[in-house]
Amino acid sequence: MSAAARYDAIVIGGGVNGLTCAALLGRAGVRTLLLEQRDEVGGCAAESEIAPGFRGPTLAHATGPVRRDVVEHLQLYRYGLTFLDRAIEVSSLSPDGRALTLWNDPRKTAEGLAAWSSNDAQAWPAFHQSLGRLGALIGGLFQSAPPSVETPHARDLFSLMHTLSAFRGLPKADQWRLLRWGPMAVADLVSESVETELVRATLAADGIFGAMLGPWSAGSGLQMLLAAANRSLAWPGGQVVAGGPVALARALRGAAERHGVEIRTGATVARVDVKDDRACGVTLASSEHLDARAVVSGVDPRRTFLSLCEADHLPPEFSWRISHYRSRGTLAKVNFALAALPSFTGATREMLAGRVRLASDLDYLERAFDHAKYGRYSSHPWIEFTIPSIDNPSLAPDGAHVLSAYAQFAPYQLRDTSWDAEREPFGDIVTATLERYAPGLSSSVVARQVLTPLDLERGWGLTGGQIFHGELSLDQFFAMRPLLGFGDHRTPIRGLFLCSSGAHPGTGLTGGSGANAAAVVARELA
Amino acid sequence: MSDTVADFGKVSDTVTYDAIVIGGGHNGLTCAAYLARAGRKVLVLERRHVLGGAAVTEEVFPGFKYSVCSYVVSLLRPEIIRELDLPRHGMELLPLDGTMTPMPNGDYLWRVNDHDKTRREIARHSRLDAEAYDEYGKAMIEMGRFAKPIMGMLPPDPTSLDPRGLLELLGMGRRFRDMRFHDKVNQVQLLTMSAVDFLDQWFETDVLKATMSASGIIGTFLGVRSPGTAYVLLHHYMGEIDGAFRSWGLSRGGTGAVSNAIAAAAVEFGAEIRTNSPVAQILSKNGRASGVALANGDEIHAKVVVSSVDPTLTFLKFMNERDLPSDFVDGVKRYKYRGCSGKVNLALDALPNFTCLPGTGPHLRGAISISPSIDYMERAYDDAKYGQFSSRPYMDMVIPSLTDPSVAPPGKHVMSCFVQYAPYHLKDGVWDDRQREAFGDAVIDTIAEYAPNIKDIILHRQVLTPLDIEREFGLTEGNIFQGELTLEQLFFLRPVPGYAQYATPIDRLYMCGSATHPGGGIMGAPGRNAATRILKDVSR
Repeated sequence: MSAAARYDAIVIGGGVNGLTCAALLGRAGVRTLLLEQRDEVGGCAAESEIAPGFRGPTLAHATGPVRRDVVEHLQLYRYGLTFLDRAIEVSSLSPDGRALTLWNDPRKTAEGLAAWSSNDAQAWPAFHQSLGRLGALIGGLFQSAPPSVETPHARDLFSLMHTLSAFRGLPKADQWRLLRWGPMAVADLVSESVETELVRATLAADGIFGAMLGPWSAGSGLQMLLAAANRSLAWPGGQVVAGGPVALARALRGAAERHGVEIRTGATVARVDVKDDRACGVTLASSEHLDARAVVSGVDPRRTFLSLCEADHLPPEFSWRISHYRSRGTLAKVNFALAALPSFTGATREMLAGRVRLASDLDYLERAFDHAKYGRYSSHPWIEFTIPSIDNPSLAPDGAHVLSAYAQFAPYQLRDTSWDAEREPFGDIVTATLERYAPGLSSSVVARQVLTPLDLERGWGLTGGQIFHGELSLDQFFAMRPLLGFGDHRTPIRGLFLCSSGAHPGTGLTGGSGANAAAVVARELA
Repeated sequence: MSDTVADFGKVSDTVTYDAIVIGGGHNGLTCAAYLARAGRKVLVLERRHVLGGAAVTEEVFPGFKYSVCSYVVSLLRPEIIRELDLPRHGMELLPLDGTMTPMPNGDYLWRVNDHDKTRREIARHSRLDAEAYDEYGKAMIEMGRFAKPIMGMLPPDPTSLDPRGLLELLGMGRRFRDMRFHDKVNQVQLLTMSAVDFLDQWFETDVLKATMSASGIIGTFLGVRSPGTAYVLLHHYMGEIDGAFRSWGLSRGGTGAVSNAIAAAAVEFGAEIRTNSPVAQILSKNGRASGVALANGDEIHAKVVVSSVDPTLTFLKFMNERDLPSDFVDGVKRYKYRGCSGKVNLALDALPNFTCLPGTGPHLRGAISISPSIDYMERAYDDAKYGQFSSRPYMDMVIPSLTDPSVAPPGKHVMSCFVQYAPYHLKDGVWDDRQREAFGDAVIDTIAEYAPNIKDIILHRQVLTPLDIEREFGLTEGNIFQGELTLEQLFFLRPVPGYAQYATPIDRLYMCGSATHPGGGIMGAPGRNAATRILKDVSR
């Protein structure tokens, strides 16, 4: 610890969690410096030019529901954050030309489901309610760091007790559901509740999104519950950020600057400096040293420990464990500049402005996953896309549009070939898949940008191209994220903290990990 | 074997019993033995002509005796062996030394009980793995130590407000807290990870990981990369660390001899056992069980009925679901069986000759595992996911006649092949004779890739599909564990949430089969735990 340190805390990485953490630290009076390697902050919540005149969300095309406490504490609406009141949660297109919509209003969803199955229409409200209750319960665990396993603090245990008593407050059937659903295969979970394959696949996609899991893989139920948990913590009506994820990044940047956080872009951190077993600052790639009382890493755990820290500062067992922390990316991003609005059979304009899924049934998802197991990309990937230029025409020239698509499975590690060779062939597969639902789409493509997991790693520092900074599996969740014993944002190096998605609760673009970390760091520095 | 069991007990129709046990498998017999040992008057009813359930020996072809279904022993709880004095009743376990995995490139991996030898053999594939093998072994012993007391536990109900259950959970929490840190990590990982991911942390050799991960999928319709399979790994490892003699073994005279020894113990304690006595109905009145009705119409009454058969048979076949709470019935219907394994029993004229290790030798005396790579295991699973049997299945084979010559005529051999995956539900068609033979051919063709002489030495072949296992042994959907060992069906969730403590919604009706905690394998723990529970209830 240096008395002359100019900063109390240095946050590495200006993604949504890094920004959230820095802004909240600034608000708590901590002198904070945020370092971002790219020219702009935002991380996965970036926007860029796809082709001259066309802009779109580079990576994420939707935020996770932004956490209520983050919006509130940072008063993000003062920095331009507004939300769209969108009635549609997600839609799905069927290969036979029909469409399915899951509305935020379960009664409306049930009405629509009646055309598919009267059983599903009947079962939906109860299922939706149950998922909401379980989500709220898990959400309770999301709002603070998990208790330490070795030396639990009374404060942490209190939140755990609170959750336990909430658990006991659930209807008995939901208590059992919670215990069963987490470790289950999401395919089993949804099949218990609904019978229409398209509905099952649409729901199950939540369980495997970004993961190296198929719907029949046990444990995929967890990710679906985590998504429900995030919804329970959202700013009211805060499911959809107006202007897309980049608007969230901008608002966070505004709040951070307002609270005195110094932001330096184009600043690549090469090393976390450790003196007397304590993090004391960072060294940049330019060899510049920056001192601070604490370092908070917003980059993923593998990169933090295996490339930013020197091995002799970490216990060997820790290094060994972290080298087996799983972060196998499986998601690719394809951005299209289109001369005209594509006509997806069965889809309304309102549906296309939101998220639309293309996955006809559970087997389709599973077969897409099969390829990834053997180091190949799916010949028939499942896709979630949106056309943000419908709500925001300024993104494209008059009459033209941008389409943003997630495509899975595109495993980071390809066998016998590389993503540099396969980038465009995979892009072609995605185009062809979209074309099947929107005949004529491919002829209107002005430009296409394919971002593979390798590109996510190179450009955004996501190890393995894993969008959640590490898989959201049962063994890498809660007190075990990233490793058991280090779930409380602390690390084996005193003064070094984690605030990325690789720390609890670790789901995408909610600000949750950053907010929880800020509370721990601020306490530590006080 | 059937001639010996016919002498067990005497038939008497006029007496009322303290307890009737439905099913004479090893768990039913264990439960009966403990109840009889406590002075209760017990009757065991077995549908077949022979005792043992899935732990049964039958002379399928003249002179050739098979452990038709379950074929190796290791999980049998040592306290049961001790308390029921099974060796005195004729149980003799013979060591099954090691596992040999032939590889397509003509190489092999051979692990034996001799640790140093195994190390040298693994070092042939990878030096690092040889070192990690020690570490891994130590870690698993710790895991087993933690898990062992849980096997004998009445799973607490986490949703109940009963302080005793909570105290038990707390006790588990304490034991967990007192573990060394890295053991804690291992423990949590075992419960949550896939077998391959778990093993990846230690090993780099593909064939080693493939063979070891295989025990994570046995009897479970999951692939080796699916989370939750690491637990099944432990479930099977348990035998190696605290079994009868710290290793997998064969039972002299087949696994039926284990069942017969338990039966003999039960009879000595005064239990009565009837074979050829299929139960048709569990009698209950006003939510209380009072006895059973046999298929022949006879009614037998008892204070307590204990079912060792699976929940589907117990509650949906032997009872009227209208007499049960609807949420319970939903739970029973949701309970997953998904049998996915088959069995091929061969009568051989000579020994198979493996290309990788030609001739006869000690490598044939252990298990022979067809699990050459992780991809191979996954491909086998992929076939099954879409409703076909694996064209190249995972197999675990033993030749018991090498260790126990009594099971085959002189110079001849029996070979028993556990095969996975063979899904109960086929996408195209059903398990008819044609499918059964096609499945048998796939098995033989697979073996022939490693031991080309196999086709020339087969005298007889018995193929058991999941449907055959269901019909023969009364295991719903052919699941050898009476229900999958997946996380959502374990411990306090097995078989139905809220009913994991051997009791059922019907007063005086209990469960004691593999569908209850801690699950399948020739373990006996469900039977013993259930007896403990029943004796506690009934003495009150």
